[in-house]
Amino acid sequence: MHTRKLTVLALFAALALAIYSVESLLPPPIPLPGIKLGLANIITLLVLHLYSARDAAVVLLARVLLSGLLFGQAMSLLYSLCGGLLCFVAMALASRMLHRHFPELTSILGGIFHNMGQLLIALLLTSVPGVLAYLPYLLISGILTGLFTGLCARFALRYLSRLL
Amino acid sequence: MNPLVKRACLMAGGILMILTFCILALLIQHRSSQNASAAYTAFIYQDGSLLQSIPLNQITETCRFTVNAAHGGYNIIEVSPGGIAIAEADCPDQICVRQGQITDSLLPITCLPHRLVIELRPSTPAASASAPDAVAY
Repeated sequence: MHTRKLTVLALFAALALAIYSVESLLPPPIPLPGIKLGLANIITLLVLHLYSARDAAVVLLARVLLSGLLFGQAMSLLYSLCGGLLCFVAMALASRMLHRHFPELTSILGGIFHNMGQLLIALLLTSVPGVLAYLPYLLISGILTGLFTGLCARFALRYLSRLL
Repeated sequence: MNPLVKRACLMAGGILMILTFCILALLIQHRSSQNASAAYTAFIYQDGSLLQSIPLNQITETCRFTVNAAHGGYNIIEVSPGGIAIAEADCPDQICVRQGQITDSLLPITCLPHRLVIELRPSTPAASASAPDAVAY
């Protein structure tokens, strides 16, 4: 049982890394800092719903460290880490409150918190209050991309919960 | 109603409320940026301090200059009559270049890797009457 779980989690981590690298090849859909699809978040959502918050944290950490090692953008890693951390905490709490029944809502909350974290970092780094003008754009994009990844996770869960 | 569904509905309601506020904020931002007078001043910030301010209505022809980032890297800024853009940069994401030229105060251009922000604000009459403090090309 334990070996099976380890293997599945390792597979998820590899899948997340692959999705992340493919997404980084695509140009950002809208040229505003912080807006991205966040497709690798589908994997975090899946592990969160199939296993536990602790397992999801391990998979996420493995993905972040490996992508830092392979694609090596130390500075952008720093920004995404802050958003990623906030996003993960929000999603773990939300999925617990919703008893893992609504991946869309969990994911939307994650998207909102991710983008707020990004904006916070941008505000700290540039210390120009003008960057707050991005707030509504970032919130709306967080909700839309969160809905998209959440729906992806829901459709995947339908099949995965039968297999695992 | 089952408490789980109730909780989910509350959460969805909260998200919808955020969405509504954002759309309202966008509309207000958009309108206020359109209503302002045509003369803007560009403020270029690096690492949080003002590098230079350029009254765009005093620009007669397009020109470029380079801003070097503190930790290596550069941004080439292109100033034209009434607009400003980052023409070229060596940052990894190229978001600042892809944002193109801005001609109003709706959104600033940000190059986060180089901690550079370019903001347009309507020129105040006092500021446009006096000569610019510094214009470097």
